[in-house]
Amino acid sequence: MTDLAIPTLETNRLILRGPEPQDYPDFKATFTSYRARFMGGPLNAYEAWMLYAAEIGHWAIRGYGMWMIHDKQTDETYGMAGGWKPAKWPETELAWVIWPGAQGKGYALEATHAARAHFYRNGWDGAVSYIDPKNLDSIRLAERLGATPDKGAPSIDGNDVVYRHPAPAALDGTQLAHGIDMEIAHYADPLFKPKGYALD
Amino acid sequence: MTAQITIPRLETDRLILRAHTLSDFPDVAAFYATDHSKFVGGPMTPELAWRSLAMEAGHWLLRGFGRWSIIEKASDQWIGITGLWYPEGFPEHELGWDLAEHATGKGYATEAARAARAYAYDTLGWTTLISLVAEGNDASAAVATRLGARPDGRFTHERFGAMNVYRHPAPEALA
Repeated sequence: MTDLAIPTLETNRLILRGPEPQDYPDFKATFTSYRARFMGGPLNAYEAWMLYAAEIGHWAIRGYGMWMIHDKQTDETYGMAGGWKPAKWPETELAWVIWPGAQGKGYALEATHAARAHFYRNGWDGAVSYIDPKNLDSIRLAERLGATPDKGAPSIDGNDVVYRHPAPAALDGTQLAHGIDMEIAHYADPLFKPKGYALD
Repeated sequence: MTAQITIPRLETDRLILRAHTLSDFPDVAAFYATDHSKFVGGPMTPELAWRSLAMEAGHWLLRGFGRWSIIEKASDQWIGITGLWYPEGFPEHELGWDLAEHATGKGYATEAARAARAYAYDTLGWTTLISLVAEGNDASAAVATRLGARPDGRFTHERFGAMNVYRHPAPEALA
C-alpha cells in the first residue's frame, strides 16, 4: 500500500492544494501556449498530460512538490508554486508558474512565500530557483522574494541563472520578511485605490 | 491533507506488483536508456525517465488506477512495469507492459499483465480492455496473443505513431 498525502496551505487570499484532476484544463491551457516557453513548452496535449501527472507523482516520489494555487473565495486556479527536483536538478528548486490572466496581482509572491515558509518549517535549509535569463517576470519575483544570483552554483543546462533564496534565519522576523509581508498585504488591500486613469 | 490514494499490491507465483518508488529510478532510467525501449517512447535521457516515473505515480492520482513496478520474487529485482493506462489521447483503457531486456523470455510479461487484467476486471469491474502495440514490436504482440487478445483495428498516437489495437477477452470469456 502506498499513500500519497499532500498538505494544504492557506494564505490571506489563496489556498494551495495538490493538483487535482479537475484542474488539468487550466494547466493544459497554459502549458500548450507560448506562455510556457520558459518552462520547456509549448507542449502538445499528450506531453501536457504527462507533465501534469508528473507534477503529482513528484509528491509521491520526493514527499514534496508543486501545489495548485486557488482563490480562497472562488476556488479559481491562478497557477502553481512549490518544490521541484526531478533528475539532473543540482539542488532543490522553489518554482512557480502563474496563468497569464492572473498576473500582476501578487499571487505568485503570496503563494511562493508561503510554500517556502512551509518547506523551511519542515527541514529545508535553503532553496534555489532556476530561471531563464529572458524570463524577466520570474527574475523580478525571485528578487522580491529576496533571492540573489549565485554565479558559482551549478545550473541545469548552463543557460539558466541560479537564484539563491535567503536561508531560514534570514527570513525569521527580519526586515526582509516584513517587507515581503507588507508587499503581499498591499496587493490584498491597497492603500491607494485609483477610481480610474485621468484622461486629457 | 487532501490528495490521498492507496496503490494496491498484487502477487503472482513468481512476481510482485507494487507501487513505483524512487528506488526504482536507476532501473527505470536503465530501461529507457537503450534501444530496447524504442517501442514504448524510448530511448530517453535520465531526466525524461525521471519525469516518466513521476508520471506513473501521478497517473494513479489523476485516474484512480495506473501501473505497477514488477519485482521478481526470486531476486527481489525490478524487472519492468505493467498495469492500466489511460493518459490524455488514448482511445480506451489500456493494459500495457514494459519488460527489462534481461528479464525477457520467461513469460514474466504475460504473468504480470494477467494479474493486472484480473485487477481491472475483478476489482475495478471493467468490462473490456485493449493493448496498444507499436508496429514491429513482435515480442509485445506475442504477449498480447498469449493473453488471448486479438487484433481490433489501428490507432495513431500523436507521439508514438501508428499502433495496432489488441482487444482482450471480456471477463465472461475468462471466467
